[in-house]
Amino acid sequence: MTEDIKTRMIKVYIMGREYEVPEGLTIMKAMEYAGYRFIRGAGCRAGFCGACGTIFRKKDEYKFRTALACQTPAEDGMYLTELPFVPANKAEYELEELTSEPSIIVSLYPEIARCVSCNTCTKACPQDLQVMDYIQASLRGDINQAAELSFDCLQCGLCAARCPADIVHYHVGQLARRVYGKYVLPRSQHLKERNDEIKAGAFDQEMEKLTAMGLEQLKKLYTERDIEK
Amino acid sequence: MKIPYYPGCTLKTTAKPFEDTTKAVSEVLGIELLEMPRWNCCGTVYSLASDDLMHQLAPIRNLIRVQDMGYDRVTTLCSMCYNTLEQANQLVKGDPEKLEKMNSFMDQEKDYTGGVTVVHYLTLLKEMGFDSLPVKNPLKGLTVVPYYGCLLLRPEEISIDNPERPTIMAELLAALGATVVDHPYKLECCGSYHTVDYKEVVCEKTYHILSSARKRGAEAVVLSCPLCEFNLDFRQKDLEQELAPMPILYFSQLLAVSLGLFDALGFDQHYVDPEPLLKEKGLLR
Amino acid sequence: MEMIRGYPDYMRESIEKVEKTRPQRLKATFKAMTLEEREQILNEYHPDYKPEAKRDLKIGPSKGQRLPHEVADLLEAHPLIDPDDVDLSRVDYDCDILIIGGGGAGTVAALWAHYSGVPVDRMLMTTKLRHGDSNSMMAQGGIQAADRPEDSPPRHYLDAIGGGHFTNKPELVKALTMDAPAIIQWHEELGVMYDKDDKGVMMELSGGGTSRKRMHSARDYTGMEIMRAIRDEARNIEVPVLEFCPAVELLKDDQGRVAGAVLFNMETDQYYVVRAKAVIMATGGFGRLHIQGFATTNHYGATADGLVMAYHVGANLIDLDSVQYHPTGAAYPEQIVGLLVTEKVRGLGAQPVNKNGELFVFPLEPRDVESANFIRECYGRDNGIITPTGMKGVWLDSPMIDDLKGEGTIRKNLAAMVRMFERFGIDMTKDPILVFPTLHYQNGGVEINDKAETSVPGLFAGGEVEGGVHGKNRLMGNSLLDYNVFGRRAGINAAEYVKKVTPGKLSLDHARKYEEALKNAGVETDRKAPMLLPDYRGNHVLSRALDIF
Ligand SMILES: Cc1cc2nc3c(=O)[nH]c(=O)nc-3n(C[C@H](O)[C@H](O)[C@H](O)COP(=O)(O)OP(=O)(O)OC[C@H]3O[C@@H](n4cnc5c(N)ncnc54)[C@H](O)[C@@H]3O)c2cc1C
Ligand code: FES
Repeated sequence: MTEDIKTRMIKVYIMGREYEVPEGLTIMKAMEYAGYRFIRGAGCRAGFCGACGTIFRKKDEYKFRTALACQTPAEDGMYLTELPFVPANKAEYELEELTSEPSIIVSLYPEIARCVSCNTCTKACPQDLQVMDYIQASLRGDINQAAELSFDCLQCGLCAARCPADIVHYHVGQLARRVYGKYVLPRSQHLKERNDEIKAGAFDQEMEKLTAMGLEQLKKLYTERDIEK
Repeated sequence: MKIPYYPGCTLKTTAKPFEDTTKAVSEVLGIELLEMPRWNCCGTVYSLASDDLMHQLAPIRNLIRVQDMGYDRVTTLCSMCYNTLEQANQLVKGDPEKLEKMNSFMDQEKDYTGGVTVVHYLTLLKEMGFDSLPVKNPLKGLTVVPYYGCLLLRPEEISIDNPERPTIMAELLAALGATVVDHPYKLECCGSYHTVDYKEVVCEKTYHILSSARKRGAEAVVLSCPLCEFNLDFRQKDLEQELAPMPILYFSQLLAVSLGLFDALGFDQHYVDPEPLLKEKGLLR
Repeated sequence: MEMIRGYPDYMRESIEKVEKTRPQRLKATFKAMTLEEREQILNEYHPDYKPEAKRDLKIGPSKGQRLPHEVADLLEAHPLIDPDDVDLSRVDYDCDILIIGGGGAGTVAALWAHYSGVPVDRMLMTTKLRHGDSNSMMAQGGIQAADRPEDSPPRHYLDAIGGGHFTNKPELVKALTMDAPAIIQWHEELGVMYDKDDKGVMMELSGGGTSRKRMHSARDYTGMEIMRAIRDEARNIEVPVLEFCPAVELLKDDQGRVAGAVLFNMETDQYYVVRAKAVIMATGGFGRLHIQGFATTNHYGATADGLVMAYHVGANLIDLDSVQYHPTGAAYPEQIVGLLVTEKVRGLGAQPVNKNGELFVFPLEPRDVESANFIRECYGRDNGIITPTGMKGVWLDSPMIDDLKGEGTIRKNLAAMVRMFERFGIDMTKDPILVFPTLHYQNGGVEINDKAETSVPGLFAGGEVEGGVHGKNRLMGNSLLDYNVFGRRAGINAAEYVKKVTPGKLSLDHARKYEEALKNAGVETDRKAPMLLPDYRGNHVLSRALDIF
């Protein structure tokens, strides 16, 4: 069933210089094919770390586009570069001393009040998150929504690089999530109880037996254990 | 009646009692407030610069969200939100070029058509008729002054009432059974955001407004703006002059009391606690 | 070749068969394999069981151990730096604890060393990429901890040791399983948003080889959510971090203790000398060695540097003969080949089916067994689906999940997966996805004890770089746990250790001795190690590259 495909070559312009690369590569792999060996600009290579934030324009299009180089196919006529670094100040705080009161985020990141709702951050987000909405939610103290809407953030920094109000969205989202996780989400009772049991030594004997057990008996125990459906 | 409801940031935080009481009241009055699922800050303070469209994006984007909900009216409580939303609305309705420019900037949204009207909640009540309010617990013996401030009335194009001689709040309060007195500073600015950097300006305003109200026999001041509330209420603690504490109330709180809804009054969020006064008048449960 | 919703038309024909059998498969189950059956299929089809893929190591303390060629190649290679090029008399950083690797284990170690009394200005973390760019960031599925009443740490122990074919070090498995609930509780304190119901009950899933539902997750960004939180915490307490400065060689002192490292600033080509009372090795795994040519799920920096450096100073290695292939790497489209399709997809109910739409294996066998079954289906029975570039794979019937668990389950719980495929035009909520085993995890590593100490004084290790915890096969959700448990233990025990130590004179003699050992063993090669980063430049470029700058 295999079709023998002759790879078509396309032209891309890496930082302005023209290169020919095979069609169907990601931007990251296309740059490597062209001879770039990344130090910066490549991390997980799978869309999870945000190291490969990229800015580009497509052929015959005025739009300034942003994407993850490891998750975006290179196209013919693309003008592109990777963003090695996004300078951004992070607020330092002791989570223990914070609360979930509505003003908490704006007190640590007062610049979010400069948001004019231009939505440029949302347009820049390679994860398609509603970035402006979570900044707005943070501004009005809706920590729940800020945490939920920012959850899939990879912290690539493209939003912050594009923001006319100089907001560092991804740090704001991080704060919202930690406050939400610590002070809003209910704590797990069974987890606490289990830790109390462990501390009280409830499993010590059984564990002692297991670690000392001979191979055959261990195998038997293992094979005969019941499996929760 | 179903109507989209734009909350605004303050209503979700410091002015929570304003929202809570309005919601309780709306339920009794059969107004179904459809809280907008997506909204952003109104823009706080309408930008007067004619070439600064960036600052009009926030209000217009909210109107697009109303449009997306399939409605042509939206109601709001905060005077500031009302003012900013409706002023921006008027601006683009009257200037198709600006509207087009903004629509093309917000190309990820559907175009705004100019078809939405912003209705202040007081206007909504007036449309239904103040006399038809099912008052159970008339505010007998309570003397109040309405305080409008700037944002409900100015500029004239967006005014919810006669901008020089407004009566809408007085009519409402009278219908609730309160004794309403007039006073000369009802349109006076409270000092607004000067409260952040020039506290003294606001203190001076607060003193004038409240002492004059007091002189006319008012026992409480009633208003519709969280910022005015903060300035008139919380700045009382910073006054240099002597002034007996004056309770400041959102109109919705008194409305709730008069309808017998005592659950979400939120008096603990005020600086001057209105509870003793209302208790003294026998108005609380 | 016509494309229909992301797939070429000929693959669509097979998808139709998958759809046809789906209604009856929704109720179907498949019998799990017996221990004997497992052994047989592993021997026949698992890449790890191919004798020709490995050789005996020629030098060092673990001489004679059988290793994949790609690992042996790095251990039988010249140290990257020439000791004579390095001036050890000038120390650039002097600290109590040097942490090598800014992934999960390194970050956890820094936090716990700090909790144990080491001031942050007496620590240094150095890492090859950015802080957090690591395998830890990429974990999707979850982390195990026996915290439900119907579960227990001993049961977790049994699952882990059985999954590891009874080769794990008992003391390590005990530490792993007994510490687990405390780790999750620590995460809660740090604000990690675990999936819970509105009463706070953890929503836990099964994973391959687990006898209880024990997998804690934070949607399908579990690793990222934990890593983000601990990194944020490390930044709050201001742990000093050097990015893009990998360690290239450890330093010893005149008493044979590990006492620092040489770092290399990849952007300026400058080296730095770090003197430290203790070193914590937290460099993660080796996926980027592409063992037997397999694609990998691992991050760019997973090149076994820590193994090499630890081996140069004489640390024991363990269980490195076994390599974990994750059964479900993406096999199509080409751009994402090898990237992980989380086990949670099967955990939520998706079945592996062949080109005829038949379910051919119990969906949640341990990973090695599941992988071997996939390989047999493709290459033993010729029931795989061939991609346009000639790769083979089997279907993972993802749309079943919504049928089983309700509309919207996939989007809510597998957002990262949906997004990854959507970027290439495939909607996994409607169509199955094509998968094939991919190189995933370094089961073994530098041998440690339950205090996270290696066999060399002053050298601690935590996370994927160490071995013994998982034996010959790790279960899903036990390695996020591993880096937390042993990262923590490394931090605590190193903090204790440094109280009693004053480093002596620094030396690189071990590197010189390593050269000698290579020579004596007759290893002739121009290979150098550690590798630091793989090289993916096109051949047309490499063939004309000049090394003049
Ligand atoms: C795609 C994927 C999905 C996974 N899913 C799960 C899962 O669901 N559940 C689970 O339990 N486990 C999972 N794992 C495994 C788990 O994520 C890892 O085993 C674990 O996170 C390893 O942590 P670590 O800190 O040891 O290594 P890493 O997190 O990889 O950190 C190592 C760090 O050291 C750096 N480094 C490397 N060499 C040097 C050097 N020479 N000098 C300085 N720094 C260096 C690296 O760049 C990296 O930052 C998954 C792994 C992958 C790749
Ligand atoms: S390299 Fe991590 S997101 Fe692209």
